[in-house]
Amino acid sequence: MSSKIIIITTIILLLISFSVLFVIEAKNHNYDYKKSWSVVYFDNPRDDSLDFTIENHQGGKAEYDYEIFVGDDKVIDDKIKIEAGAKQKISPVIEDEKSKENKITIVVDYKDVEYKIYKNIR
Amino acid sequence: MFISLPKLILVLPFILILPGFFLLLAFFGWKNEKISFFEKSALAVPLSLISVDLIVLLLARINVPLKGLNLVGSILIFCLLCFIVFQFRFRKKNQKSESREKRNGSESFFDFSFWQTVFILLSIALAIFIRTAYLSDTILPSSTDLGHHMYWVQKIIDSGELPDYGMPDFIIGEHMIFAAVNLISGVSLMSAMPALVLLLFNVAGIFAMAILLARLFKDKNIIAFSFFVAGVLYAVNAPQAKYVSGGVVGNVIGNMLIPIALYFLYRALKEKNQIFAGLSLFSFLGLLYTHHLSSLILIFSVAAILFVYLVLNFKRVFRIIGDWLKIFLKPAPIFFLISSLLYLLFIFTPSYFNSAAIGQATGSPLKVTRIGLNFDQIEMSVGSARLLLGALGFLLIFLNIKPKKIRYSFALGWFAILFVMAYKPGWLFINIPSDRIGNYLFLPLTLLSAYALVRYFEFFQSAASRFFATVLLFTLMFFVITDGMADSAEAFKTRPQFQEAMQTFHSADYLAKTLDTSQDVILKDHVNIYGDSWYKLFFMKDYKYPLSRGNLSRYVDPTKPRETCTRDMISDPQSDKGKMCFSETGVNYVVLNAQFEGNSFEKYPEFSKVYGSNYISVFRL
Repeated sequence: MSSKIIIITTIILLLISFSVLFVIEAKNHNYDYKKSWSVVYFDNPRDDSLDFTIENHQGGKAEYDYEIFVGDDKVIDDKIKIEAGAKQKISPVIEDEKSKENKITIVVDYKDVEYKIYKNIR
Repeated sequence: MFISLPKLILVLPFILILPGFFLLLAFFGWKNEKISFFEKSALAVPLSLISVDLIVLLLARINVPLKGLNLVGSILIFCLLCFIVFQFRFRKKNQKSESREKRNGSESFFDFSFWQTVFILLSIALAIFIRTAYLSDTILPSSTDLGHHMYWVQKIIDSGELPDYGMPDFIIGEHMIFAAVNLISGVSLMSAMPALVLLLFNVAGIFAMAILLARLFKDKNIIAFSFFVAGVLYAVNAPQAKYVSGGVVGNVIGNMLIPIALYFLYRALKEKNQIFAGLSLFSFLGLLYTHHLSSLILIFSVAAILFVYLVLNFKRVFRIIGDWLKIFLKPAPIFFLISSLLYLLFIFTPSYFNSAAIGQATGSPLKVTRIGLNFDQIEMSVGSARLLLGALGFLLIFLNIKPKKIRYSFALGWFAILFVMAYKPGWLFINIPSDRIGNYLFLPLTLLSAYALVRYFEFFQSAASRFFATVLLFTLMFFVITDGMADSAEAFKTRPQFQEAMQTFHSADYLAKTLDTSQDVILKDHVNIYGDSWYKLFFMKDYKYPLSRGNLSRYVDPTKPRETCTRDMISDPQSDKGKMCFSETGVNYVVLNAQFEGNSFEKYPEFSKVYGSNYISVFRL
C-alpha cells in the first residue's frame, strides 16, 4: 500500500490532536472556567490607601462577608454580592486618626474560607 | 480567541513544511530514485526548522528587524531560490522523465503491505492519542523550563532582534522557531502554541527514526516496529510527552535532528553521495545552533560508529578513509562546510562556543549526578522492556555481524558509545549530568529493539515447535506492552493544575500592573508555586526578575559556594542573614504559596499582606 496513506493519516491525526489541545488550553486559560476561587487585594499595594477589590471566580454569584479591623477593633462589618467572574471595588472610610501607625486588616469570608489582607500604616 | 487556531494551523505548514519541501526540491527534484515521498515527508519538518533558523540568523546579522512581514518575505525568497535551483538542475531531466514514466525505486521501498500499513497506522494513532491525552492535563503553559525559554522568545518578539543571553544555558535555536510562529501568526506564547510546536517535533522524530532504520536495514517490518517502539512504548516518560509538556526544547529538537543527521551520513557513506554528505553537515549545523548536549551526543555517536567500522575493517583502514574523504571533498559538502563555518564565525556564534562553557562540560566528573548511572538507573531511564529488547537486538546484531556492512557499525557503535557516556562518563572525560545523557539511549535502543522484535518473530515463525514458539512470543509481547505502556496508564491519573496556574498568573498580572519595577523588587517561591517561571513574562524586565527561591538542593554545591539569600529571605526572614539579604537585594515584595510559607509570614510584623487568594499570598516589606 502507498506510504501516502500513512502521511495523510498522520497529518489528519495531528490536526485533530492540535485542535483538541488548543481548545482545551483556550477554555482553561480563563479565571472562571471550571474553577472555584476568590481573591482579595489592595488596589494600590505601594501606598497606605485602603481601597481594595474582591474578585469572584467561584463559578456562580457569591455573597461575601467582609470585616475591617483597626488594630484589634472592628470598625466595619458588611456583606456584598458579586456576580460570577466579576469584581467589586470597595473604598472603606476610616478616620485618619484611627488608622495612623496602626494595622488595618480586611477579612473577607466566603463560606468557610477566609481571605485576609492587611497593611501596616506608616 | 479561537481564531488563533486556524491561524496556527495555516502558519505551521508555512514555517515548518514549506522551506524543507523546497530545499528537498532543489536537491532531488519532484521525483527521484534516491528519495521517496515518505522520506521527503519525514525530512520536511526538520529541514524546515534548520532553514528558518538560518534565515532568522541571517536577517538579524544584516540588521533586518525580526517582524512578521520580513519573515514571510524571507521564507518566500528562500523557497523561490530553491525553486530556481530546482529549475536549473532538473528542467532537462524532467522533460526526459515525462516521456518515460519509470517506477521510482525509493517509492516501492516504502510500499508497505496491507497489514504493515495497518500496524503503522495503529502505532501512529496510539502514539498521538497517548501524547494528546497526557498533554490535555498539562497544556496550560506552566512548566518551568518552557517558561524560561519563552521569556527569551518574548524578548525576540518585543525587540525584533536576537537576545544576548550572557550565559551558556540557552541556545538561540531553542527560541527562534517559536518567535517566528508568533510573529507570523500572532498566536500568543501563553497559549498551547509552544507545546504544539514541540509535539510536532516529537512526532517528526518518530518518522526520523523510521527512515533511518529503513535505510539501515531495508526491512519493512523493522520500519513498522520502529513506529511501535519509538511512538507507543514509554510514550509519556522522558524524553517523550513529558519533555514536550515540560518544555525541554533542546532535547526534543535534538531527538529529531540526531537521527536525521545520521540518516544523511549513512546514505552519504553507503551510496557515496555528495548531496547527502552536504545535508548531513547542514543537519549538524542546525543541531549546533539548537542544543549543545545533542551536538555532543552526535559527535560522539559519529566518532564511535566510524571507529567501530574501521576496527572491524582494520586491513582496509586507509582505503576506507580515502573513500570517505572522496565523498566529503566534493563540491556539495565543501559548500556546506564553508557555509557552516561562515555562519558560525560571522553570522552568529552560539553562546556556548567559549572555553568556559566547554571546560564545564569536559574533564573528570566531580558531582554525584555526573559520575554515571548504575544499571538500575539506566533501566529506570529507558524502561525495562526497551532495555531487554535492545540488549537482545545488540546480541543478535553482534552474532550476525558482517564487518563490511556499515549498518552493523551504526547499530553497535551508536549504542555502545551512549551506554559508556551514561555509565562511565569519566572514561570519556565528560562532565555532564548523567541522567541527561541516559535519555538519549532511547534512540539506539529503538533501533535495536525494532530489529530484535522482527528477528524474534522470524525466528519463532520457523521454529519446530509452534506451540512453545507462540507461548514465548506472547509472553514477550505481554511484558513489552504492559511495561512499555505503564507510564501511559499513569498519565490518565494525573490531576490538572489549571486552577493553581491561573491564580499564579493572576497574581503576576496584579503585580505587573501595580508595581514600579524600577524600584520594587519581587521574590517568589519556585518551590511551592506552580507555573511561577512564567512570572517573568508579565514583567519582561530581566531574565532574573523576579528573584526566585529555587529548589533547596540547588543551594548546596560542594564545588563552589552558592548565594543563599533567595532561600533565607523566605525560610527565615527575621534572622540576621535574612534581614541583611532584604537590605542587600532590595526585595520588598514576597510572593508565596498561601498554604505554606504564606501562613507563617503572617506572624512577621514587618510585612503587610497586600494580596490573598486561595493559592497565592503577596507580602510587602
